Amino acid sequence: MSGVLSGLADVLTSEAAYINAMTFAVFLAFGATGEWVAERAGTLNISLEAMFLGGALAAAIGMDRLGSEPLALVAAIIASLTVAAVQANMSHRLMANQFVVGLTLNILVLGLAGFLASELDPTTRQSAPNAIPLLADIPLIGGALFDRTWLFYLIYPVVPVCWWLVFRTRWGLEVRASGENPQSVDVSGIDVNRRRRQAILVAGVTAGMGGAYLVLGAVGQFEDSIVGGRGFIALIAVIFGGWTLRGTLAGCILFGAVLSFRLSLPALGYELNGDLLASLPFLVTILAMSVFAKRVRAPAALAQPFVRGLR
Amino acid sequence: MTADGRSLDRLSGLGGIIGLYAGCVAIALAIAGLLVEATGGSASEVFAAMIDGSIQGPGRIGATVGVATPLLLVAVGTIVSTRAGLVNLGQEGQLYLGAAFGAYAGTKLGIAGPMVLLLVLGCSVVGGALWAGVAGLLRYRRNVPEVLTTLLLVTVAAQLVGYGLKNQWLLLAPSEGRANRQQISQQLDAATRIPRITWFGNEFPISAFAAVFAAASVAAILAWTVWGLRLRMLGFNPRTAKRAGVSEERYGGLALLASGGFAGLAGGVMLAGGDFGNYTLVPGFPVMIGWTGLLVALVARQRASAAVITAIVFAGLRTGSGFLAATGVERRITNVVQGLLVLALLLPPALLVLQQRRRAMQAGGDRR
Amino acid sequence: MGAEGTSPTPSGPPAVRLIGVSKRYGEVQACASVDLDLHRGRVHGILGENGAGKSTLMKILIGLVLPDAGTIEIDGAPVRLASPQDAAGHGIAMVHQHFSLVDQLRVWENVALGEAGALRQGDIRARVGELSERYGLQVDPDATVGSLPVGIQQRVEIIKCLRRDPSILIFDEPTSVLTPAESAQLFDTLRQVVVAEDRAVALVSHRLDEILRVTDEVTVMRRGRVVDHTGTGSTDAASLATAMVGRGVSLRSERVARSAADRGADRGGDRVAGVGPAADDPEPAARAAGPDVLHLDRVTVRDATGLPVLDRIDLRVRPGEIVGVAGVEGNGQRPLADVLSSLLGTDDGEVRVAGVPVTTGSAGAMAAAGVAVVPEDRHDSGIVAELSVAENLWLVDIERVAPAGIVDRRAMRQRAAELVAEFEIDCPDLDVPLFSLSGGNQQRVVLARELSSNPAVLVAAQPTRGLDVGAIEYVTDRIRQAAEAGLGVLLISSEIDEILDLASRIVVISDGRIVGELAGHEADRARIGRLMAGERA
Repeated sequence: MSGVLSGLADVLTSEAAYINAMTFAVFLAFGATGEWVAERAGTLNISLEAMFLGGALAAAIGMDRLGSEPLALVAAIIASLTVAAVQANMSHRLMANQFVVGLTLNILVLGLAGFLASELDPTTRQSAPNAIPLLADIPLIGGALFDRTWLFYLIYPVVPVCWWLVFRTRWGLEVRASGENPQSVDVSGIDVNRRRRQAILVAGVTAGMGGAYLVLGAVGQFEDSIVGGRGFIALIAVIFGGWTLRGTLAGCILFGAVLSFRLSLPALGYELNGDLLASLPFLVTILAMSVFAKRVRAPAALAQPFVRGLR
Repeated sequence: MTADGRSLDRLSGLGGIIGLYAGCVAIALAIAGLLVEATGGSASEVFAAMIDGSIQGPGRIGATVGVATPLLLVAVGTIVSTRAGLVNLGQEGQLYLGAAFGAYAGTKLGIAGPMVLLLVLGCSVVGGALWAGVAGLLRYRRNVPEVLTTLLLVTVAAQLVGYGLKNQWLLLAPSEGRANRQQISQQLDAATRIPRITWFGNEFPISAFAAVFAAASVAAILAWTVWGLRLRMLGFNPRTAKRAGVSEERYGGLALLASGGFAGLAGGVMLAGGDFGNYTLVPGFPVMIGWTGLLVALVARQRASAAVITAIVFAGLRTGSGFLAATGVERRITNVVQGLLVLALLLPPALLVLQQRRRAMQAGGDRR
Repeated sequence: MGAEGTSPTPSGPPAVRLIGVSKRYGEVQACASVDLDLHRGRVHGILGENGAGKSTLMKILIGLVLPDAGTIEIDGAPVRLASPQDAAGHGIAMVHQHFSLVDQLRVWENVALGEAGALRQGDIRARVGELSERYGLQVDPDATVGSLPVGIQQRVEIIKCLRRDPSILIFDEPTSVLTPAESAQLFDTLRQVVVAEDRAVALVSHRLDEILRVTDEVTVMRRGRVVDHTGTGSTDAASLATAMVGRGVSLRSERVARSAADRGADRGGDRVAGVGPAADDPEPAARAAGPDVLHLDRVTVRDATGLPVLDRIDLRVRPGEIVGVAGVEGNGQRPLADVLSSLLGTDDGEVRVAGVPVTTGSAGAMAAAGVAVVPEDRHDSGIVAELSVAENLWLVDIERVAPAGIVDRRAMRQRAAELVAEFEIDCPDLDVPLFSLSGGNQQRVVLARELSSNPAVLVAAQPTRGLDVGAIEYVTDRIRQAAEAGLGVLLISSEIDEILDLASRIVVISDGRIVGELAGHEADRARIGRLMAGERA
């Protein structure tokens, strides 16, 4: 146990650990922020995984073919938005079961990624970091937060913009209301399913950014296992955060740290089974939901389809 | 929208509906074909290879049946919980934990033999049911939605089993038997494996019969027994059910346990059946069988008979990919085909419902 | 707040005029050729039972429902109200009965919901403050709506409504959730809105007292039709009550059951306090001799806020007796039926069936003890529409046709076929899903199942609601026959005629309390009407 503690202490004083942790955390945060919007509108959007992967794939192909990082980002967002549009229209226009659509998209895009990656074999390189003067020199965390690729820096506007959208605009008010009490929203003259579709599209945009960051900023090359279930972890970060944006981001950082500690602890020469450590945040999430049921409250209409006239 | 609606109006009767399905499936296959052609492959070769790999090639039906078996078991369990009005999204984790329980019983107790096989499968059921039971407990004691907990527990299951696979007192094989591999269980003893039989050159584990039997039993239980009737009552109308004496906690909880138990059994059958992982447990062992099985149940609309066919089709897509290497096309195109097919199958009912609603609106002049 | 003299005679075209408005839902005619005028500066009461069509009418007015026929004119010009936005554009707003609020949002957010344009928090709050001030509707704009008491929530709903400065306001059952003091304050607000600001108000209600207190004119609806329209000053509670519950369908006048029922009434007429005589003797033989088959002893149920919805209810039903529970809708009838359906647990008191105490709120306990129920809303707790006719006939005691837990299809179908024949249920096949049957036949299925289960007591809640004439007669006869055969019946109904026709003893429920009891022969429409209207006996 003392070995673990001193290992942890070593990690906490190692700049590399912070860099690794933030790499994972920011990738998760891109997806989780959009997912948070979608869940606030009432969709448990499990196709986040597919959105991430579609974005990553398109970014790799875009980078390979177009040779420009901004264009690759645009390609990633378009691809991820396409996935989002299918999810949104199938589940909130044609009223197909949202989990069936989500599962199907996850399988479909996973296949597409494997297929296209092998057929097109896109080659990419890691995007170069641009240090922000002064801030990058902050000890320990400066490098992790401010000596990064421009794709990483996108998270800085994305989070406040999403927050502003949800809490400061009429659209956001209607989105939040749609996730809580769609009947009342409907009676007030607002198209609930339209708001829900739009919220999923927001998730598509941010997940596309996340995919682009993952392949160009974090990993440097595309492989079809690049997302590897982390779309679900981003989704769980929203649950962990109790459907608040702050909590969601905290969840992303915690999950990111845990994911990276699993890698950095052995590298620092410590024997630790990271699996139990890694499951802790999820167990904490479950515990929080069952113990603080009042505080950690899901949107009341989460995962419930809204059909007009059914009361 | 209105244009869609009008063209739908002309679709009438069974012929129209079949045509709609056929059209959607054709479009899905055409998209997949175009994708192959666009990347320089030959669509006809790919489809021929898939048919070869799933049914036509020698012994391939056996392989398909081997994959369909756990899919069907997962789907059967899902049908039970869905019929009770519950949303279990955690089959992938329940399956993994079931396989882990089975692997422990089969490799760490130091015994072997046909009776141990039953123990292995029994433990798999317990493992899966336990995992779903956690969600059930939280649902009925703490009021936490099962849709969230089951999903969360998928990740936890993967980590727990990963932990087990790193520790020799749990699942990790003794160092002499694993040739430097870090996370692998000991192989099941030959006597502890599910017997495989050969029919017309197709070899598959006899658990396939058990899966079909399970599907038939569940269908029969739901249709013919008091328990099944009450479960359906609960799923359709919980208040009427309560008045008639159906305790939500008891029936819903049991349905969730059954759902997890079947997923766990699927894990055990994968482990001891031979079509997955060569009788050993490794990280990533479930290979999305849990997720796909869930999809099978939902696509089959909670009908066991339809689930049998859907499971075989989905399994065929999986095994069909095995023969794609010869065509030079990446085998995961089959996942694309599968995804497109499911989307294509979702469209017609959705369009028909839309059409009905629109008609009802017109007839009533009612906006809602 | 009398009606006389407070408002001038209307001049010019009415603010809203409905001409011949009709709306049909499947087999139910919700509104039949309704004419209605709302004038500025006047409160127009719309009175009727639940299901009389007033809610549909109001939904038409605010654009939630499109009528099948008829014209709507606003200030003399015909309009089409196809959405709530259309209605809002014409200055129509509604205070919804169950509110259009989202509990999890703050007050100011709720007020802003459904408007257009940028979300300016400061402006909205200021406006909320202003409106609070002007109408005396104090409310904290930053409070979360769900955390507010229901009376304050209604203030929010009213502010949400008034913020759009509507010229036409609809209040849908506004006092159903309010205490008397809150109601009084609401009516002050309403007066101010009408008199000082010259708006037109429709007050939809089933409460006679408030219609009499607040309105200038009143329209009474029954079964989708306008049955009366009069100045409030020229009418009284009794005649309004009569119009509201009406004579409707002529029930059989020869009171076959009366003689049988009177026997029960003689024994049960004077209510003895304390434990029922047969509490310690649940033997069937003893039951037949006349002790209570159902005894509610000080049964109390509180809602989430702690207010009693059933307040120390004492009720006894004896074999062969039909006890009518009369009362205006929403005075505790629903929770009463829910308790007897095992759907609701009690907070205090005891329910005894044939002398044996039964656990309340425990799945199936009431049914097992022998309480048969024909629920008010069969879709809520009476049927499973997706299951077959045969299965629905056996929902409750399926074990009787399922030896060893396996349903004997043949036995099930055989008994089901007998019941279908006996109760004249019109169905093409026993295996078709119940939703494919008409409402009347679905109700017969419920009745057949409940009566054939050999119960100790039958609870029938609004058993004829929404049925056509033939079905009403059939159901009424069946209930009467059951009583003649010795079954105790608790008939919960807001149809006075139904109660007068069937019941040998009548209790009147108001505000969750039993406010009076009459023997069947001494009951008359006017007395019941007054009790129902809240006057103490």
